[in-house]
This record gives sequence, C-alpha cells and structure tokens, in this order.
Amino acid sequence: MNSVWLATILIPYAQPADTTAFTKEQTDFFESRIRPVLVEHCHKCHSPDAAIIKGGLRLDHRDGLLKGGDSGPAAVPGKPDDSLIIKALRHSELRMPPKGKLPGQVIRDFEQWIKAGMADPRRAEKPVETRKIDIEQGRKFWAFQPVKDPRPPRVSDEAWPLDPIDRFIRQKQDEKGILPVKDAGKHLWLRRVTIDLTGLPPTPADINSFLGDAGPGARERVVDRLLASRAYGERWARHWLDLTGYADMMGTSNNVYAEHAWRYRDYLIGAFHKDKPFNRFILEQVAGDLLPAGSALERAGNITATGFLMVGDVEIVEPDKAKMEADHVDTQVSKIGTAFLGMTLGCARCHDHKFDPIGLEDYYGIAGMLRSSPSTHKIPFGVWSQLNATKLPETAEQAAARKEAEDGHERKIVSMVAERENLTAKKKAVESELAANKDDDGRRAGLAKQRDDLAEQVRKLAAAIQHAEFFRSKAPMAYAMGDGANPSDMPIHIRGNPYAPGRVVPRGVVRVATDGRFPPIPEGQSGRLQLARWLADNRNPLTARVTVNRIWQKLFGEGIVPSVDYFGARGEQPSHPDLLDHLAFRFMADGWSQKKLIRAIVLTRTYGLGSANSQAGLETDPDNRLLWRMNRVRLDAEAIRDGLLAASGELTESGGGPALVLEEVENCGSLARKGVNPPNYTHRKPRPTQEFQRTIYLPVMRNNPTADDRIRAFFDFVNPAQISGQRSRTVAPTQSLFAMNNDLFRKRAKSLAGKLMSRHAAEAARMEELWLVVYNRPITPAEREEAGRFLRETRERASEARDAETTAWIEMCHALLASNEFVFRL
Amino acid sequence: MHSFHHFSRRQALCSAACGFGSLALADIAKAMNPLAPRAPGAPAKASRVIFLFMAGGPSQHDLFDPKDFIRKRHGQPIDSPLRPEVTQVGTEKFLALGEVAPVRPRGKSGMMISDLMPHLASVADDICLLRGMNADNPQHASATNQFHTGVFTEVRPSMGSWISYGLGTENSNLPSFVTIHAPGVRTYNSSFLPAAHQGTPLTVPLDPNSLPIENLRNASKSESLQRQRLDLTARLNRRLVGELEGDREMEGMIQNMELAFRMQTTTPGLVDLSGESRATLELYGVNGKETDKHARACLLARKLSESGVRFVQVTMDGWDHHGDIAGNIPRLCRQTDQPVAALLKDLKQRGLLDETLVIWSGEFGRTPWSQDLSGTAPISKHGREHQPESFCAWMAGAGIRPGFTHGETDHQGYSVVAGKVHIHDLHATMLHLLGIDHTRLTWRHLGRDFRLTDVHGSVVREVLA
Repeated sequence: MNSVWLATILIPYAQPADTTAFTKEQTDFFESRIRPVLVEHCHKCHSPDAAIIKGGLRLDHRDGLLKGGDSGPAAVPGKPDDSLIIKALRHSELRMPPKGKLPGQVIRDFEQWIKAGMADPRRAEKPVETRKIDIEQGRKFWAFQPVKDPRPPRVSDEAWPLDPIDRFIRQKQDEKGILPVKDAGKHLWLRRVTIDLTGLPPTPADINSFLGDAGPGARERVVDRLLASRAYGERWARHWLDLTGYADMMGTSNNVYAEHAWRYRDYLIGAFHKDKPFNRFILEQVAGDLLPAGSALERAGNITATGFLMVGDVEIVEPDKAKMEADHVDTQVSKIGTAFLGMTLGCARCHDHKFDPIGLEDYYGIAGMLRSSPSTHKIPFGVWSQLNATKLPETAEQAAARKEAEDGHERKIVSMVAERENLTAKKKAVESELAANKDDDGRRAGLAKQRDDLAEQVRKLAAAIQHAEFFRSKAPMAYAMGDGANPSDMPIHIRGNPYAPGRVVPRGVVRVATDGRFPPIPEGQSGRLQLARWLADNRNPLTARVTVNRIWQKLFGEGIVPSVDYFGARGEQPSHPDLLDHLAFRFMADGWSQKKLIRAIVLTRTYGLGSANSQAGLETDPDNRLLWRMNRVRLDAEAIRDGLLAASGELTESGGGPALVLEEVENCGSLARKGVNPPNYTHRKPRPTQEFQRTIYLPVMRNNPTADDRIRAFFDFVNPAQISGQRSRTVAPTQSLFAMNNDLFRKRAKSLAGKLMSRHAAEAARMEELWLVVYNRPITPAEREEAGRFLRETRERASEARDAETTAWIEMCHALLASNEFVFRL
Repeated sequence: MHSFHHFSRRQALCSAACGFGSLALADIAKAMNPLAPRAPGAPAKASRVIFLFMAGGPSQHDLFDPKDFIRKRHGQPIDSPLRPEVTQVGTEKFLALGEVAPVRPRGKSGMMISDLMPHLASVADDICLLRGMNADNPQHASATNQFHTGVFTEVRPSMGSWISYGLGTENSNLPSFVTIHAPGVRTYNSSFLPAAHQGTPLTVPLDPNSLPIENLRNASKSESLQRQRLDLTARLNRRLVGELEGDREMEGMIQNMELAFRMQTTTPGLVDLSGESRATLELYGVNGKETDKHARACLLARKLSESGVRFVQVTMDGWDHHGDIAGNIPRLCRQTDQPVAALLKDLKQRGLLDETLVIWSGEFGRTPWSQDLSGTAPISKHGREHQPESFCAWMAGAGIRPGFTHGETDHQGYSVVAGKVHIHDLHATMLHLLGIDHTRLTWRHLGRDFRLTDVHGSVVREVLA
C-alpha cells in the first residue's frame, strides 16, 4: 500500500550504448567463477527474484553493481580494494553473505575479476522500481496543512453551548441525531476537574466551599484555584515526563545513577505551574543553553530545560562510541518527532519513511544538529560514558548558602577523620592488651569482642568518609546540552550504520512541514536554536495541533486524534478536525498558554456532562467518539497513590529536590574512583518522608525497581525507555491483588480509620466523612444502611481480635479505597 | 496489512491481563478473549516452548566450542579481529585463553560438550547444538532486550508475548506465558500487544516466607474478614456499574477481584512440588546443595508446560565471568547442569519432548581472549569479555534434528564461518516450529506492522528434523 506521495516510478533501466569488449577468456572466467556464486549466494536478496530488493542493490546485471544501492556503488572496475562488494565478502565493513563468509578462493576470484575490469555480459532483464518522496504532494495531507480558524457552527439547541468548543461537539452529534446526556452533578464535576487538573481528589473543605458558592462564576473560581496550585504543576509535569524517557538512572545497565536528573523534573513542575508559554517552553528545552538570559536564575532554568534531550535510556556502557553516539542522537531525534510533531522520525534513520513524506534527509538534517551538540563524554576508566553536566549559575545568596554547606561538610569530614584515628588508636591499644594477656581466657573474650566492635566501627566510618569525600561538591549541576567545538552537517548513515557514511546532508528540518526556507545556521552553531524556533513557529502545522490534542486527551481520556503520538498517514483521523484546528488556533492566539486552554475546556458544557450511558448513544456511537457523555477513566498509578495519601490525610507537600537518596551510604555502590564501573545506586534506604510524598518525587528506576513503592509496576506506568503520550490501561488480576493486599492500600486504610475514629464518636459522622474523603460525595441512605450492617457483621467476625471496632473500620476503609468509584474518575 | 489476528485498541484495553485473567474473560466476553486457543496458520511441530535463559553470557569456548589455535597459544597474544575504535578494558593484550576443562565428543553423534556438563553430555543425542549464534550488541541490557524482543532499545513485545498472541493458551486456568526468575520487566512485557499476553513473573519459593507472586498474602487478619471486605467492595462496584448502565472495564475489574481472591489459594498449589515422586525430585536435584533453586525452577517449568502454558522461561543467572572463569564456570555448571538435563529427560519420559521445544542460550557468548580487570592477575585467574559475534545455544524437542551440530566459527572462535544463526533466525525458527510464519505475525502500532523479527529473520531449515 503506497501513500499518495510515495510515487512508485518505474524506471526503464538504461542499456549502455558502449558494450565494452571483453575477451572470451575474461567472459569465461566470469561465467565459471563469478556468475554461479552470484546466483547461488546473492540473487535471493539482490535481484528481481527477491520479494524486497535488499539495500536497493541489484547484482543480476553489471550496471547494478556500478550503480549500487543505498551504500553507494558496489564495485569500481579495476579497484577491488575500493569496491564495496569485496569489503562485504571479506566481512570487513559489511558482511555478505550474512550467513557466513565465503571461502578465501572465491573472494580472491572476485578480487581478480574486478581488477581485470569486471567483465560481465549481463543486462538488466527487469526494470527497477524506485520509490520517491513527493514533498509537494505530501503537504496535501491534513496534518501538514496550515492551521485554520474555522467558524463555530450553529447547533440544534442554541442554548446548550457554553463555549465555541461545545458547538463543534454538538454539531457532530446533530449530524448523527444523538443527544448528549444530562450534565454531571456538582460533586461529580468537582471531583473530575480536581483530579484532572491536580491529580488529587478535592478535600471536604473544597467540596463545602464550592457547594456554598451560589454566585455566578463559582466554577470559574474553582478552576482558577486549581490552576494556580502547585499540584497542577506536579500533575502536568508528570504527563510531560512520559514524553522524555525520564528516569533517575542514565541507562539500563548497572544502575548508574543520574544524580542531576531531578532538576529537569523540578524545572518542568515550575514551568507548568507558572504557565510558561508553550512556544517558549519548546525553545528552552531544545536550545535553552543558546538563549540570552537576564539573570542567573533565568540562565540556570534555560540550561536545565535542555535536560529534555539528555534524559532517556542511554546505553552509556557501549564500548563502540560511534555507535553509542548515533544511538543517542537517534533517541533525541525520535523524541523531538514524537513529542512535538507526532511523527515517527526514527523510521527515517535507515531508509525513507515508508508511509509518510519524511526522508533520510529530514532525519539526518536534524541529527546533524544534535551530533553537533555532544551530550556525553567518556569517563577516564573502563568503557563507560556519562551524560554531560553543566554547572549552573548561582545568585549571590545561593553561592553563599552553598559555601556554608560545603564548609559544614568539610568540617564533618575533618571530625570523622579525627574520630577514625581515635578509634584506630583505641583498637591498637586493645590489640596490645590482647597480646599481653595471652593466658587469661576470660579477659581475652571481652577484649576480642571490643576489638571486633572497634574494627567494625572503623570500617563503617571509612565508608562514610569515602562517601562524604565523593559528594564533597554542592555546586548545582544539570544534565544539559551544549554546542560542540565543530558543528557541521553529517552524512547519512547507510542502513543506520555509523561506519557506512553516505552523502552529507545539510542540517535542516522536516521539509513537508516547513513553510518556506529553513534559515541558514550561523557559522559555529549547531542549529538547535533554529530547529527550536521552527518547532515553536505559529506556521508549523504540527506542533500546536499535537499539543492541544494531548491536552484534550488528558481531559477527556481520548484524543480528538486518538493516536496522540502519531499524526501520520497510518494514524487515526481526527474525530472533529475543525475543533482540533479551533483549539490549535486559539492556543496560539492566546500566546500558547496551556492554562488558558485548559480553563476553557474544563468550563465547557461537554466537559461537564455525566458519564452514564444512554441507550441511544450506545447504539449510534458505542465508542463515544462524539462525546455524548464524559469518558470514564481509570486513574493512573500516580493518581491512585497520591489519591490514597490525600484521602488518608497523610500526603505531605514537597518542594522537589533529589529523588535518589544518595546521602545514605548503603544506597551507593562502590565509590572508588578507579576500577571499571562508575558508581551505582540501589534504593535500599528511602528517605522517611518519601513514603508520603507525591509519586512524581519518587525515584524512577530503569531496572532495579524500588521495593517499597510498587504501584507503578502494576498500574501501567510508562516504561522509561519508551516515549509515549498515552498510558495503556490494562485490567489485570494482579492489580486486584495489589489493591486487596498491598501495604500501600492497607496502611492508608489504617490511617484513615484511625483519623475517622479519633475525630468522630458517632458512627454516622464517621461514615459521612468517609464517603466525603473517598468518593467526594455524600453517603446515600442505602449505603448508610449497608455500611452499618457491614460494621456489625465485621465486629462480630473480628470479636476475637483485640480491637474489633478498629478492625471493622479498617476493613470498611480498605473496601472503599479498593473500589472502582475511587480508582476511577467518572 | 496481514494482521494475524485483529483486535481493536478498545478490545485491547478491556482485556484482562497477566494470564490468570483468562478465567474472568471467559465470563465477560467469550468472543474476544485474546487468550482463547487458536490454531496456527501452518502445521505445527511444537505446541509449547520452554526457554532456559543463561543470563550473563556463558562461555562457548569452555562449554562447546574450544579451539586448538587458542589452546596452543594459551597466555600468548593473538591478533585482534576488532575495530580499533572499540574501547578495551582488561582485554588490551588479547591473550589467548584455552578452555578451562576438556571438551569431548559425546553420544553417538559425537557432539562436543565439556566435562563440566556431564548431565547434558548424557543427553547429547537429544539436542541440536547451534555453534554459529550471532547477535548485535555486546551489552547485557541491550543484548537481553534483543534476545527477548528482537530489538535493543525500543520497548517491544517479548517473544513469549508474541507466541501468546499468536496461539493463545491451552489451559484457561493458567496464563499463556510464565517467566520464572525474570531478569527485568522488559523480558516479559507485552508492549503494544494486549496486556493479556504479558508474562506472569513467578519466583520459586525457597522458604515459607517468600511468595511466588507479589501481594499474595492476605492483608486482613483472617480470610473471612477479607472475604467480608471484598464482598462490600463488590457490592459497591456492582451498584456503580448499574448506575452507569454498564462499563466493561469495571466489570472486568469486578471479575478480577474474585480471580485474585482465588489466586491466593491456588497459586501456592501451583508451585508446590510435593506431588512429585522422589525419583523425579532426585532427578532434578531438588534439595541438592547447589542445584536446589534451579532444580525447583526447571521442575516447575515442566509442570507448567505440561499443564499447557505456551511459553515458560526459566532464567539462570551468574554466567558473566569477567574474571576467574576457571573458578566460576564450574560452579555455574554444577548449579544448572543436572536440573537442565533432568528437564529434558523428564519431558522425554513423559512423551512431552515431541511437542515441546526447549531452547538454551545466553544473551551472547564470550571472547576467546582473556580479560583481567585488575591488570595484575595471573592468566589462570583471567576471565572473558562479552562476545555477540559468535556463541553457542542449543535446541531440543519438537521438530528439532537431534544429535546435530550446526554452524562453525573461525580458527579462533570469533567469526561465524558457516551456519550463522542470528537472533532473528532463531525467533523465525521457533515460530515456524509452532506453525507460525514469522512474517505474518504482525501488530499495527503507530502506523506500522511490527513483527518479532522486524524486517529480518529466516527459518534455519538445517536444524529441522
């Protein structure tokens, strides 16, 4: 299946006019020694007999060798050493045939044949099929068309819409003759909007204040309060992290920790919290290091933002550094493609994209910019590389605070060293005493124990000193991009192989999504700044559409384009193309403000609909693509954990900071600066506060999961090697086991029960509050009766337990926390 | 384009996951059960696979493929076949390292197997040795990913997940894919395939306090209290589904809670080996000082496979011998040799080997030259570096040519000179034996039809019976 712009062109193969006269001897050599080998070992993949001609190379006629394939000409007559086919047969740069090297005599025959002029009487029997990308044709696809500002349509019930957005929705429903369901009640709407915007449920106080606000604009006031909260930044920063491959580990191998990665996470929380305009947000993440800054703080932020291109699964242990660099650049190109453009750019690393009008040139145009900005360096020992870290500029106060911290740290080292000397001296004294008491067994036992205790203390102290010395510097650092010394265009890597360079392509951007010419890259610059400006340009047809669609997906559970990460030819079509453009246009017109867009969306009639089914809706549109009701969404791992902590009253605020607990010696692997491996990290000893902090502040591990925090392993947390704007939503019995038995649920149930019991003496009041904090709505009479019966029966059953009353309340709290009304947002 | 089985994303979302879910699914929607057994597209030799994964990279030079050239130069420098750009750590001198124990012809076939594996040697005529294995990455994490998913960096479905997707499960009470002592989530994840095809990780409990799967211990003080609690949750859940006039995802969760409750009682039985005869326990080396852990794992693998689990993986790690290989590799052999050979014997005795494909391999092999990270150790204490260019694996059972040695490496055991089997080829062959054409088992994701073998792989006809 070829897309429209992948024109299949049949090129009749030109027959050379000049048929070089070869001697009979030469032709005989070809017929007896060369042709049989070609037929037996090569034709299966490199002739029209092949289902797909591999590497675009044909070996069934002489011109096929001369023209060559993706890797360039296969042979240069007279020059066997310059002929790719010889290199391939020798298994040097390429390895052919792939199944195993041919005998030495055969290779020598080929060398001789090429050296003697490559006598070959064969002519092409079948024409060659070539595919070419047609950029102009490609631009006709909807996603590459400029964003329009469609007029909001008239609808059947003009009183229904609250916002132009509602008109686009209602109009599609009118076309199908579907009616939207009734509006959600106040409690449901408040729970929904609070969870969507902050990832936390509303508190009883939030509920009361909303219910008590009878004036016009009550909903607006709720939304403004939520958007202004830091919790909003924490929630939406986590959505963005799913598009970055973020973890507190550099790569998957050996758990080498990424100690500064948290600064990028904190940067994101701040950026969302302060509603940094999205176009500025792009500039900073792709090229923040190249932007002018008015202050040390701003500069530090800009540098930290480029962590976007640094975090991710980097195979820093790869001993072949050319390969490592190419792979890392690939993850960067792919990330830019997915996160901002909704395009699978990575496909064009080895060949032109099969479905979309994106070619090798587009890929290597961007890759050249990233290769001009090296982001790793080799460490002095072993095979390892590490991510480049930049020291961040500090304000005077920050510098002073750091000086003080470092001085204190030095004093600590000095005192530990003194203590070690002291203990060593004591140990020596005990040892000599032992030597002096050779015969007194009673005394010896005590002394030996004393000596061993001291030895153990010295050992621990030595480890602590080594640790303190290793983490001596308190200078703020961030993993950050920087332009290299010699920015330059790069060659295409044939079939993605860094050792097979093809033609050099100029640095540039995705041509099909470009309006006009890409500006020249100033001498000595990587081009990232120009790339960033192109991504963030109002004329870029993809960026705004992809971004508003992501926001819509987070608020409705499904995107207008359901394949949120892929807007290409094989992606899904937008259900409401005009609405998508309306949102994108409005987003840009509002200065790329995410908060303004989110505010508008959650205040629509559509967002405020109930989530129950209607028979008519189910019949006409069972997948609810027309949004005749609100989609129900199971909470993600973070919202479940954070919601549990909020409901039990145990959630503690955090200002951010390191997720890894590097200050605990036992979490760090060997810190010796020699050896083969860089230090690693195991999350053996969490910080006591971490149990109660929001999930975004917990370490994200790649390979050795944290033992104390397991919910992300069960509830579809995105694997940090993956760039994915939408979590999968699985329904697994292991999740039920988790909710039934894991300590995360059990401890929260206990705390909640304790809180209810200490706060209210009366059963009814406890129940009222339980329903309000877990379901965020009042208990119904039927539920009150049911709960009363449950408590009676459970007390009876637990009569042998020490405290049957407490047991009954814990069980009831646990039952509610594990129920669907809590783990879904309706 | 040629989607093997078509599921919409929505169906994927609604499917109960992680194996054990099939029971619930049968009740929810029989027609769309992703684990329903399916006939393969072609006649199948194998119905099930047991994959014995030797994590770390066992040394083929010491176990199967020693070289005279190397032995004669033991301790002497040899020419490096590597690119000069590749960083060397402890291998800069390229000193030849001879095998640590004799490797001799075994059985009627004369297959070469080390003295370190006497049990495997006794079943040499049942296995097919692949000496021309080939992979593309010299790092554990990447190579392990490639071995399980076909690619190193992207997150893609594991081979067990592909097989589950292709064939479903034979036993609706069990998952289709179980992995015992899994080396990381990416070796059993289903990625873009429906989550029902994800592997279920199991730990063989070696003491009464360890659990075969997480969260299996009842959080309440008694089972009746827990039951009481679950009944309340279920009533609340059913009321909500009623108010919403139906929700498949929530209905699935209601069913799953019951299933989870049953798993608490049935799972310990699943891993319980007390029903096995003494002879069987002894055959595997259960309770043996060094063999116990892997013996239990291998025996459990047989139990699960016999009960119809499509793909069972047992991981045995510790093969990463960068130093003192002469001291380390015999220990690993003592731990694994008897359990592994017992598995083959046991399957054969029960008539199961004819329908079960058994594969043994590491993620890569090791170099013929030595490695010494200290820089000062004598050659007798050296180890070997990773080597994906060539290594050994073996296959046995359904449809495999027994007693056959396939593939050959060069004089020093670095390059494959004949019978090269790339990971993609191994995957293609495995699927072929299960009756699946590897080019047709596809899933559409981000616009592209993905395969286990990507755009590569061909069936290794030579190893087929």
